[in-house]
Amino acid sequence: MISNLTILPVLIPLIAGIIATLFHKKLTLVRIFSQVSTIISTIVASYVFYYVIQNGTLVLESGDWMAPYGIVLVGDLLSVTLVLTTNIVALAAVFYAPYSLSDEQESFYFYTFYFLLISGVSGAFITGDLFNLFVFFEVLLMASYALIILGGGKVQLRESIKYVLINLFSSMLFVTTIAFLYSVVGTVNMAQIGQRVSEVNQSGILTTIAFLLFFVFGTKAALFPLYYWLPRPYIAPNPVISALFGALLTKVGIYSIFRVFTIIFVHETAITHQFFIWIAAFTLIFGVIGALSTNNIKLIVAYNIIPAVGFMIAGIGIYNETALSGAVYYLVNDMIIKAALFLLVGAIAYLAGTSDLRKMKGLIHHYPMLGWLLFISAFVLAGVPPFSGFIGKLLILQGAIEANEIIITIIGLLVSLLILFSVMRIFIQGFWGEKDAAIVPNKPLARKLMLPVAFLISFSVFLGIGAEWFYPITEEIGNNLMNPELYIKSVLKE
Amino acid sequence: MEIIMAILAGILFTTGVYNLLQKQLLRIIIGTALISHGAHLFILTMGKLKRGAPPILDKTITDYTDPLPQALILTSIVISFGVTSLLLVLAYRASKENGTDNMETLRGNQND
Amino acid sequence: MLFAVFFPILLALIIPFLSKWKTTIHTGYFVLLAPLSIFIYFLQFIGTDFQTRSGSYSWIPSLNINLDFYLDGLSLLFVLLISGIGALVTFYSIFYLDTSEKLGHFYVYLLIFMTAMFGVVLSDNVFVLYTFWELTSISSFLLIGYWNFKERSRYGALKSMLITVFGGLSMLGGFIILVNITGTTSIQEMISQADVIFASPYFVLTLVLIVLGAFTKSAQFPFHIWLPDAMEAPTPVSAYLHSATMVKAGIFLIARFTPIYTLSELFFVIISGFGIITLIWGSFMAVRQTDLKGILAFSTISQLGMIMAMLGFGTKAAIFAAVFHILNHATFKGSLFMVAGIIDHESGTRDIRKLGGLMTLMPISATLAFFGTFSMAGVPLPFLNGFYSKEKFFDASLNLGESSLWIAEILRVAIPYLAVFGSIFTFVYSMYLVFGTFLGEKHLDKLPKKPHEAPIGMLIPPSILIIGVIVIGLFPNLVNESFLAFTAEAIYGKPVETHIQFWHGLIPAFYMSLIVVVVGTILALYQKKWRKVYDYFPGKLSFNRVYDWLIAKLESYSKTLTDSYMNGSIRRYMILILTAIVLVTFSVMLITGGFVIDYSDLAPITIQEVFVALAMAFAAIATIFTRNKIAAILILGVVGYGLAVLFVFYRAPDLALTQLVVETITVALFLLCFYHLPNLRERTEGIKEKSGNLIISVAFGLLMTMVAISAHSSKAFEAISQYFIETSYKLGGGDNVVNVILVDMRGIDTLFEIVVLGIAALGIYSLVKLRSKKEAE
Repeated sequence: MISNLTILPVLIPLIAGIIATLFHKKLTLVRIFSQVSTIISTIVASYVFYYVIQNGTLVLESGDWMAPYGIVLVGDLLSVTLVLTTNIVALAAVFYAPYSLSDEQESFYFYTFYFLLISGVSGAFITGDLFNLFVFFEVLLMASYALIILGGGKVQLRESIKYVLINLFSSMLFVTTIAFLYSVVGTVNMAQIGQRVSEVNQSGILTTIAFLLFFVFGTKAALFPLYYWLPRPYIAPNPVISALFGALLTKVGIYSIFRVFTIIFVHETAITHQFFIWIAAFTLIFGVIGALSTNNIKLIVAYNIIPAVGFMIAGIGIYNETALSGAVYYLVNDMIIKAALFLLVGAIAYLAGTSDLRKMKGLIHHYPMLGWLLFISAFVLAGVPPFSGFIGKLLILQGAIEANEIIITIIGLLVSLLILFSVMRIFIQGFWGEKDAAIVPNKPLARKLMLPVAFLISFSVFLGIGAEWFYPITEEIGNNLMNPELYIKSVLKE
Repeated sequence: MEIIMAILAGILFTTGVYNLLQKQLLRIIIGTALISHGAHLFILTMGKLKRGAPPILDKTITDYTDPLPQALILTSIVISFGVTSLLLVLAYRASKENGTDNMETLRGNQND
Repeated sequence: MLFAVFFPILLALIIPFLSKWKTTIHTGYFVLLAPLSIFIYFLQFIGTDFQTRSGSYSWIPSLNINLDFYLDGLSLLFVLLISGIGALVTFYSIFYLDTSEKLGHFYVYLLIFMTAMFGVVLSDNVFVLYTFWELTSISSFLLIGYWNFKERSRYGALKSMLITVFGGLSMLGGFIILVNITGTTSIQEMISQADVIFASPYFVLTLVLIVLGAFTKSAQFPFHIWLPDAMEAPTPVSAYLHSATMVKAGIFLIARFTPIYTLSELFFVIISGFGIITLIWGSFMAVRQTDLKGILAFSTISQLGMIMAMLGFGTKAAIFAAVFHILNHATFKGSLFMVAGIIDHESGTRDIRKLGGLMTLMPISATLAFFGTFSMAGVPLPFLNGFYSKEKFFDASLNLGESSLWIAEILRVAIPYLAVFGSIFTFVYSMYLVFGTFLGEKHLDKLPKKPHEAPIGMLIPPSILIIGVIVIGLFPNLVNESFLAFTAEAIYGKPVETHIQFWHGLIPAFYMSLIVVVVGTILALYQKKWRKVYDYFPGKLSFNRVYDWLIAKLESYSKTLTDSYMNGSIRRYMILILTAIVLVTFSVMLITGGFVIDYSDLAPITIQEVFVALAMAFAAIATIFTRNKIAAILILGVVGYGLAVLFVFYRAPDLALTQLVVETITVALFLLCFYHLPNLRERTEGIKEKSGNLIISVAFGLLMTMVAISAHSSKAFEAISQYFIETSYKLGGGDNVVNVILVDMRGIDTLFEIVVLGIAALGIYSLVKLRSKKEAE
């Protein structure tokens, strides 16, 4: 049955993760196994993606329990796009890992946690059931807890606690909120919730519950004023782990907001979505201010997660087809470029021997390619054309103008400038200037670390220049998101 | 009864959050445990209390309590258990490693 | 046209390989190929029978972003400038840059810049225009930072990028709004809908946004500050980007959009107002400079202001004068920069205080400089093109149309005086530049090198430009009728009379020129006496300081602000998060009338349940007060077991069992882990902290309770679980519905719940094991 395809992107990493525990001490074997499995998973994800483009949404009713009673897995265009992007990020990470992690970290189940993280993330993207979303959240969070503490010392453990605590709290709030919602609408299937909420025209209590859910997802997505937990724990572990976190975890939160506020709570947009626009404005500003506040290059990148999320939430808040398809474009781009930046900055910090910008200079003489990769990624991040960040940003801003939201447009433009500034500081201070004689270049290692980064960045550049191939997809996603009845129909088959 | 249970769960949340805002790690973790108890109680309450027999089928009974919240709670209990255990060990290790169990002294600064 | 735009960047791809042989053949010779061939190609379009042409190539058609190229008189003028000056500068750079420099980098940046610049002036699509626009900023950034081992160079590069990218983004904002109003991305189609745009409520906003883009790029007051610092770039770059081409992109932009915005008087006020201020400020500040390139930078600023002002006038004559001056400025300023580069190259300094009397040592350069500066000063001689455009400028300033806007009216009256005032200083700095360098005493001992005439290769390009100055001066109508007429027409929208004569008779404009020369000469002669003015005005006041202050404050404030809440305290984070949740959710509940309470459908209250509930509540509260860790853990156990008892009451036997087991293990784990940790201490927080915590936690608990009660009171649908009860046995094959749900209907949940436990186990294992391994070593 072809709809079984839907679960493969969740199942393959799950099985690979379990198998990887069997020979976790045999590093060469486990590396090759992981790399091959990730490639297979990516190929499968690409096929699912291709299949959904050709044939439309895939719905898998698990255990043959018909929707809305059993758990449905829904591979719609948005889900499969994000699953594919996840796999691309994973691919870069798995090739970067051997050169970045210590042998001990690798042998203590890094690959298992890694696969289960991917499995959880893919599951969260694919599930059509709110409680099941909670379970997948827990899978990916638990894997992230395990990763963040992996082989850590003082600092890492200290930051991990904060990370676990905040996430634990929001998970509990999440599960409670699901219960509230269940009480009112009597179901946990997202499509059916959407249908029932629209039948009672989203009564006051439902809007209240909507806000609770928004705060749950907003905490995971690192929105203002909920993002405090993010920056420092994110830079505590190894760069490859930071990259997975930066690229995937917050995005799951954003994705959930996308889902919930386009399928379920769409009847009081004057309250909910208008509120998001304000949240977006503050997220953009405070995030980029954070990025400017530090000389720690890893922290600069970590803080830059926040304004990016701000752009996406603005897209949802504006709530028209243009802005939503822009937000999706931005989301895909951001997953890739954030992963690239974390890996890149990790490599820079490792090769320069410090992550303090004030102690760096003239790296371009030793590692020219590294410098140019950073240079390009700064422009991708800031959304300068023809790179991919631009397309998403342009669409979001166009959507904002269509909705007469001038203020957010202007803030968005100014923040782009500051984003560019924050990253360009690394280039100017770290790479320009006189040669640092103290550095003994390690070019072979640099090359190995750079390859996955170059892969991601070229993909991102391709997303920008070849926008004509991708935009129709996000346009259709935008259209689907604006018409929740399409999703509901394909799940409930009415 | 549902209202009393809602209040009780609210109290569990209140005390949980209050503990969460303390400095000492042990208190904080006790706080998380209280919150998860509160959450489970909320779930149960949301499914209408005592409207029938336990959901174990029997030919003679027609009314059962809502089984779905129970299933959800079961999943959630197990998950919370996993998280709490990990958190406990982590807290133990972190406080050993850093030589303190006071979260306010575990703030850290930007340069590390 | 596609090829013309992309030829340089394609060439740039192979330059790194060509530069490997730079010792045998200077890389510049290969580079020359691009501008030269493009120049020759576009030269063929000049002629009285000029027709606009266009070409279109798809890029992202679904977003209406296509490579639509459009060649009219305006773009033709710029294309020829870019390629012509480009060829000369490249040739010049061959002799200027030693082969020991990183030539590969230099020429790659330069070629990227050429592509970007051609793209800007040829694009009809606003978004493509924006793309190339930012590319010019980026390549300019790289070129200014070419000698990035110098601190000043890095500073200048960053400054120029921040300011021009700021302008670029604001321009993008303007474009987005324009596209939204007109529904097209083509500039020409927008022009045809000028009245629609004028009627839009966003008209002024788009004007301001687009003008910001133009002003930052063209270094208009107060955004001019990046240009003097951009002089850190190698001189060929200054001559090319920062005098002849890139800084004129802003002028180009305004010219392009003139047909749309000229409908508004505001356009005149903003463009001419700032233009004239820039003219005065630039020329006034130029006299203050001591660096040759600094003088030229401020002079460029001032001249750009003059062109801008003329575009703002919007009259036929003014637009023609503006176009004419764009060409003239490129010729004399380009040559002057090259001469400045020669002096720097041959004498080792650009400090005018150390220079002097170079006339005898560098006669050819001196001659070139004389022609250049006199043309710039607008000295009334029939073989200097600068004079013509200056006089046209005066003439136009006297013939502005009446206006209904009071501010426009004031400006109209003031402009002729301001124009003369600014031009006097233009005259002064021109004289200061040429006489200070080439005449007067020699201070050869102060110079790092003994100066001598430059190699012939460096002299050819400025000579060609000076020949241009003279030829245009002698036969202005040669370029006008066959070429500039079309440029002016493209801006004005209608054919423009372009015939120019040297002698117009004793018209007012001629008197104005005369005043400039006379007063200027006096001021130039007695310069030393009044230079002190600069100590008082602007003194320490400058926009540079504003920029530096902004950047410094941006970093320090963002640090202060961020550190103020990102202090690493989990308590602080939680309080902020909870406050947000509580405040917002309560307000929403209030606004939407979300709180409902319904007593009709409740389970009966029984004593046992209440008793258990009370016990649990007490235990929960007691955890706060207890000081003994073992006691705290046991009290927590009371809550957990109490919950299990409630599960029994509420007909959930499976839950009760699970809860019992889990609670027991948890308590054991708690005891195990915390056996080694210090006992609970007296809570030491102050009353303020305490009450803060209390308010937050009570508010949050209350919120949850209220939402729960409302949710329970607004059950609107039959729960899906009825289906589970009906089908549990039939389809699931089990009597225990909860179990069937877990293993069958929601099997995925259970599968992944086990996965969670597995990860937790492995995580704990690695947490404990990895450390003991480390300790063992």
